[in-house]
Amino acid sequence: MKAITFAGLGLAALLVGAGAASAKTLVYCSEGSPENFTPAINTTGTSFDAARPVYNRLTEFKRGTTEVVPGLAESWDITDGGKTITFHLRKGVKFHSLKDFKPTRDFDADDVLWSIDRQWKPDHPYFKVSGGKHDYLNDMDMPTLLYSVEKTDDHTVVMKLKAPNVAILANLAMDFMAIGSKEYADFLLKKGTPEQFDQAPVGTGPFSFVAYQKDSVIRYKANKGYYGEKPLVDDLVFAITPDPTARYAKLKAGECHVNAYPRPADLAEMEKDPSLKVIHAPGLNVAYLAFNNLKPPFDKKEVRQALSMAIDRDAIIKDVYLGAGEKATTLIPPTMWSYDDKIADTPYDPEKAKAMLATAGVQTPLDIDLWYQPVSRPYNPNGKRIGEMMQSDLAKIGVNAKLVTYEWGEYRKRIQNGDDMTSQMGWTGDNGDPDNFFFLLGCPDGKPAGNNIPKWCNDEFNHLLEEARTIPDQAERAKLYQRMQEIEHDEAPSLLIAHSIVFESMRANVTGYKQSPLGTHAFEGVDVQ
Amino acid sequence: MFAYFLRRVALTIPTFLALMFLTFVAIRLVPGDPVEVRVGEHGISPERLAFFRHQLGLDQPLWKQFFDYVWKLLHGDFGVSLATQQKVLTEFLTLFPATLELAFFAMMFAVLVGVPAGAIAAVKRGSVFDQGLMTVSLFGYSMPIFWWGLLLIMFVSVKLGLLPVSGRIDLINYYFDQPTGFMTIDALLSDEPGAFLDALRHLVLPAIVLGTVPLGVIARMTRSSMLEVLNEDYVRTARAKGLSPGRVIGVHALRNALLPVVTVIGLSVSGLMAGAVLTETIFSWPGVGHWLIDSIGRRDYPALQGGVMLVSAVVILVNLIVDLIYGMIDPRISHGR
Repeated sequence: MKAITFAGLGLAALLVGAGAASAKTLVYCSEGSPENFTPAINTTGTSFDAARPVYNRLTEFKRGTTEVVPGLAESWDITDGGKTITFHLRKGVKFHSLKDFKPTRDFDADDVLWSIDRQWKPDHPYFKVSGGKHDYLNDMDMPTLLYSVEKTDDHTVVMKLKAPNVAILANLAMDFMAIGSKEYADFLLKKGTPEQFDQAPVGTGPFSFVAYQKDSVIRYKANKGYYGEKPLVDDLVFAITPDPTARYAKLKAGECHVNAYPRPADLAEMEKDPSLKVIHAPGLNVAYLAFNNLKPPFDKKEVRQALSMAIDRDAIIKDVYLGAGEKATTLIPPTMWSYDDKIADTPYDPEKAKAMLATAGVQTPLDIDLWYQPVSRPYNPNGKRIGEMMQSDLAKIGVNAKLVTYEWGEYRKRIQNGDDMTSQMGWTGDNGDPDNFFFLLGCPDGKPAGNNIPKWCNDEFNHLLEEARTIPDQAERAKLYQRMQEIEHDEAPSLLIAHSIVFESMRANVTGYKQSPLGTHAFEGVDVQ
Repeated sequence: MFAYFLRRVALTIPTFLALMFLTFVAIRLVPGDPVEVRVGEHGISPERLAFFRHQLGLDQPLWKQFFDYVWKLLHGDFGVSLATQQKVLTEFLTLFPATLELAFFAMMFAVLVGVPAGAIAAVKRGSVFDQGLMTVSLFGYSMPIFWWGLLLIMFVSVKLGLLPVSGRIDLINYYFDQPTGFMTIDALLSDEPGAFLDALRHLVLPAIVLGTVPLGVIARMTRSSMLEVLNEDYVRTARAKGLSPGRVIGVHALRNALLPVVTVIGLSVSGLMAGAVLTETIFSWPGVGHWLIDSIGRRDYPALQGGVMLVSAVVILVNLIVDLIYGMIDPRISHGR
């Protein structure tokens, strides 16, 4: 009997648990483990999110927007027709300390040069550290754009470009351009453990790194002397919770305050729960069906327009995106500056489509192939299902579409080479600049292995694309991008399908959280009431 | 005994070789190599693709890659994870204590509940308890772990709020060094009041979920083994000598009935490792199971190959120990004589 009582007491104690008072902590239930904490050598959003609290960049995206604002560079001058950018650096910015490293100097131009050269110069002592894959620097074409980066004094950095490109300011706000401490890097090199740079980061950001336990937790503490928007909590904790259902359960139970990537199926229930809140915004992405303009009959504008009219995108958004998608009318999503809301939607009109095909001299039945994406992507939840719905719509106007797919790497390679007739593809924006979307239809990318999947090349469009890169004034640039949207709408190089809608869920007592159109998560200015 | 030991150890060599080969081939059958899997819509230039493939040795013929891998393994080099650039062995040793701790508590749960339940069912054969237990153990044995784990989380943690949803410790209230990697031990060493109890609370649900399948097997095995033993002459003799029923069942019957149960426990270890993959994912448990799943997603060949070899080594080692114990507690086996 005694033993049973004892066991009963033990069980009761286990169930009741214990708690202790603590400083204000914000817990973010993140979806996975970072590969490391240096964005320059990473490609995943999970790793970027984990490094973001620690680092700053020369320019920053204003929280919750894609607007480029000053970061570690207080201001900049664009001269030489957009080919030279002179950055004036912020003074008095302190780097964080770690147990074994205490910075002796403030942030300066050497840190900027070090952070860029590490990715750019193969003879840099850190170039090969931690695998040396600098994917983003290459993806953003920086080696092609940059001519030189030099300092003229401790607080001035001059960046010279090979060709004018004002959109580079948005590249500099991206995670891969995070500025690290050269002093810390030198210290580790001397110690013989350079890879520690990527495991225990030292930056200037709103939170300093405390500890990472693999696959379990990342801890940060508030940087009280931060120059930017102040952190409102004392501690920030990333509780790594890979399963979305478990994340939802933790959110409901109050074990986390903000929850990464809720499952669409849980959203309705979340919205009904008064202790939670759900926010959403269009994702910075687009899904489209490219018509290979090099292959007849898709070299004819009327044929492309006809096929665009034959596909019922409303049905696709309802059945495949389950409401988490918004019909696309232009290549860029409506949250991006320069979006032209006057562009009319392409109507679903199979009868007119049939007539247009006949006018264009196309004999039906017409046999085409339709390539569908083999993997789900942020902008396309189910390529096969979308392919089947398109196939059935096209059959109604006498077009027999044969569904084709390959393994993802092979698929991408083949459509970039132009092996397809029509193919599903999409894009996720990197930096919120319209150039980062419209280059997809530029003539240089229309060559084999380029990202212009429809292989469409329009001289006026391409000229405007290049001109926009030389204009520092955003309003002026926006005018050019709006004209480009008109051309694109009229020419229909692709059928634009949808922009996905991104949801975020959190406890109702979380205040100040701003959803980023870039899909990133940031916690300065966020509080728990 | 020593010769038996050597023979058993020698038998593990072909197992290891086969495992090396299978893991090497299996991961390469999954489409997309570690370089391609990193590439999104941007694509990658053929030159960069070739450069990174060369850097990782993926441009070598498969047989050469395999022999390089075996050669390194024979020298105790498990390679470096492509994703994190950390040594595979270091990553494994960081994560393994979490898996071991969970597996230990799951097995404790399975044995401490399964053996008495099976024994009582056998003694009260045909009773409502017996039939109920057999039905429940069948359910336990065939329970899909993912569903069972989520059900418990939703009911016990979310609905009733009795236990934490996932993780190993309350991250808001406790933060201490973890020299051993075993949260219960580190919590005790930390001197933080309440930390040990909190670590135990976090273990309850995952241990139940992971222990459910072995619990079913152990309960059924104990029952059938007990039924056999209860009809033996020596049990009848013990009863005839006037020993108390508790002593007859506990000392004379159960001890002898446990022999096959020990084997089942040994065999369950491999099942525990397989179950750990799912349990760790549901409960955000930072162990090797979840790590291996991540490695498949990233096509992290060295992490996956090294991880599978290390997990297999643990399973083989446990089975070896069980075999040896079995030989010790039942001399009739006499190891080949």
